[in-house]
Amino acid sequence: MASAEVAVAATKEAKRKAPHAKVAPRVGAITLAAFALPGVMVSATHADSAPEDGVISAKLQGYKDSQPNLDRIKVLSPSLHVLAPIAGAWSVEASLVQDNISGATPRWHTSVTGASRMEDRRVAADVKLTRYFDRAAIGVRYAFSDEHDYRSNAVAVDGRYSSADNNTTWVAGIGASRDNINPVNQIVENERKNVVEGMLGVVQALSKNDLAQFNLTYVRGRGYFNDPYKLVDSRPRTKNQTIGLIRWNHFIESNSTTLRSSYRFYSDSFGVQAHTVALEWVIPLNERFIVTPTTRYYTQRQARFYFNPVYDPEIGEPYPAGYSTHPPTYYSADARLASYGAATLGSKFEWRIDKLWSVDFKYELYQQRSSWRLGGGGSPGLQPFRAQFAQIGFSRRF
Amino acid sequence: MACPCEIRIAGVPISDAQRLAELAISEVRRIESKYSRYRSDSVISQINAAAGKPDAAIALDSETAQLIDFAANLFKSSGGLFDCTSGVLRRAWDFKPHTPQLPDHATLASLLPLVGWQHVDWDGERIALTREGMELDFGGFGKEYAVDRATALLEAAGVKHGLVNLGGDVRVLGPRLNGTPWHIGIRDPRAPEHDGDRCFASIAISQGAIATSGDYERFIEVNGQRYCHILNPHTGWPVSHWRSVSVLGPLCVLAGSLSTIAMLKADQAVTFLESEGVSYLLSDANGRLIRRTLDAARDPTGNADRSVRKKKKKR
Repeated sequence: MASAEVAVAATKEAKRKAPHAKVAPRVGAITLAAFALPGVMVSATHADSAPEDGVISAKLQGYKDSQPNLDRIKVLSPSLHVLAPIAGAWSVEASLVQDNISGATPRWHTSVTGASRMEDRRVAADVKLTRYFDRAAIGVRYAFSDEHDYRSNAVAVDGRYSSADNNTTWVAGIGASRDNINPVNQIVENERKNVVEGMLGVVQALSKNDLAQFNLTYVRGRGYFNDPYKLVDSRPRTKNQTIGLIRWNHFIESNSTTLRSSYRFYSDSFGVQAHTVALEWVIPLNERFIVTPTTRYYTQRQARFYFNPVYDPEIGEPYPAGYSTHPPTYYSADARLASYGAATLGSKFEWRIDKLWSVDFKYELYQQRSSWRLGGGGSPGLQPFRAQFAQIGFSRRF
Repeated sequence: MACPCEIRIAGVPISDAQRLAELAISEVRRIESKYSRYRSDSVISQINAAAGKPDAAIALDSETAQLIDFAANLFKSSGGLFDCTSGVLRRAWDFKPHTPQLPDHATLASLLPLVGWQHVDWDGERIALTREGMELDFGGFGKEYAVDRATALLEAAGVKHGLVNLGGDVRVLGPRLNGTPWHIGIRDPRAPEHDGDRCFASIAISQGAIATSGDYERFIEVNGQRYCHILNPHTGWPVSHWRSVSVLGPLCVLAGSLSTIAMLKADQAVTFLESEGVSYLLSDANGRLIRRTLDAARDPTGNADRSVRKKKKKR
């Protein structure tokens, strides 16, 4: 275009003449007002586009827990995860986990001594197929898990739909699982547990820097919920759970970090009620390193049929008091059903080596104590419980 | 829309491109039918029809409310020069070139009291034009808003290469498929009629938007003097300081409103555009060009203010 040269020549002159040519640019009031208009920018929260790249990642997770003077379970689980885009609008995800578990089974009440040993191996796999549309995505997932005494099959369908301005995304999901339980002690044979669940949620961009999420999940379970390896354990064959989750992610513009906070409410028909608050701070140190310190607090109210270590005077331990005269229908000494509080401290460190490769390290320290329950009232006679979790992962885009 | 409109999409399968283009066009149509003052069922026509009546207040939906807020901001930030009630002055001016005629002063004087954002009752939810005969219109930012909405929809649908052009108000979606920027020609304000598309400059952009206001879109010539359609709301008379103003910015709605305000600002235009931190190309009454390129205009996604901050640190 011949006239372009004219423009360039004129520019040189203008540079000399423009009165404010050296003034650093500012952002004006109109610029800010324009950005406030709805739907003129693609929201950073947009979550529904099909992945462009595939990712394959391998992770090795180590878990170890302990109680005073007793090293308990060690779990080492390698896992493989693949995400592959297919033909633009589709993606398939698959993962495979193998856990090798060894160690002493949990020692619950302090007064029970002598831990039995256990060895186990679990293989789990799941496949998820997702179809992406303009403003929506639908996913179908199948999961399978197998231990020698426990087999589980689950299917789930979830969908999401975003508003035209992408500031709101509605999410819904349903799922069902069928478990077969065949404990080695043959206390029961071919027992089943069937669970169906439904979830509704909404993700809302509150501002350019704030994203909120609310999810409500209802789970209806029927079947065998007992721990077959506990002599004294009898639980209802119905377990319904209600879970509410609120998340708030806030991007702090001044230092380009993100604060992720969440609150989770859990309640079930066993009488267990729990609250979890969690805080994560995603700090990009530079373009390659991201460190994310994490903290979490959990507090739980015990199940109605959980019993404290007060045993029957006639037949003694491990039977609950009154067992010989008026045996209760339901009873359990499983510490997971007790009243307690727990705290987790951890950190994740991610290193993006180049455009294709990244490595992450994660370490978490978990501690559970009955005295840490919010407002007191933790179950008496419960040993403190500690667990450590470490993970190293490699991923590569393709 | 009464202007040439163009949507270009590259880098997607042809079947998707058709569907995506239709998606963008339907969004443009939606905005046009909602805000056109030529359609009796539009929100704007409803507001105008109620002007001056005792029950003039009309409750607005959130999208309209945000556009009205934006218009209020333009009025304030332009020192009252950008006034979305000034369209009523068109009753005095006839820009049909075969019968060039200046308005008589009495007509103009009778219309000026109907111009003024200060005569609009706007509480954030309900709007009322307090004087009978007042008119509201979204000229200067309505079409540009449609450009932005259509572009954002395409971007959200995954389009990485394309552009939306509604009558010269353009926003691009990333570079061309081969990675090079789009070259947007700036029409020569004095191009002869037989060569109306002649350009006097070309601007390369890979991100953001460009919009141009000029004295050549609609005008009349009386006694050798040009009178264009951009009218000063205080006097009712056309502006004459600039032949054309092109503004590059992250959003089309921004570029469009700033280019119109710059035309109205006359000799204050450069200072004004500098204060908004955008790039521009001005052609003055003698055809001389003033041009300035800033990083901010090339950085629509993140934040114009972030690039500005970086720039400040370097200094």
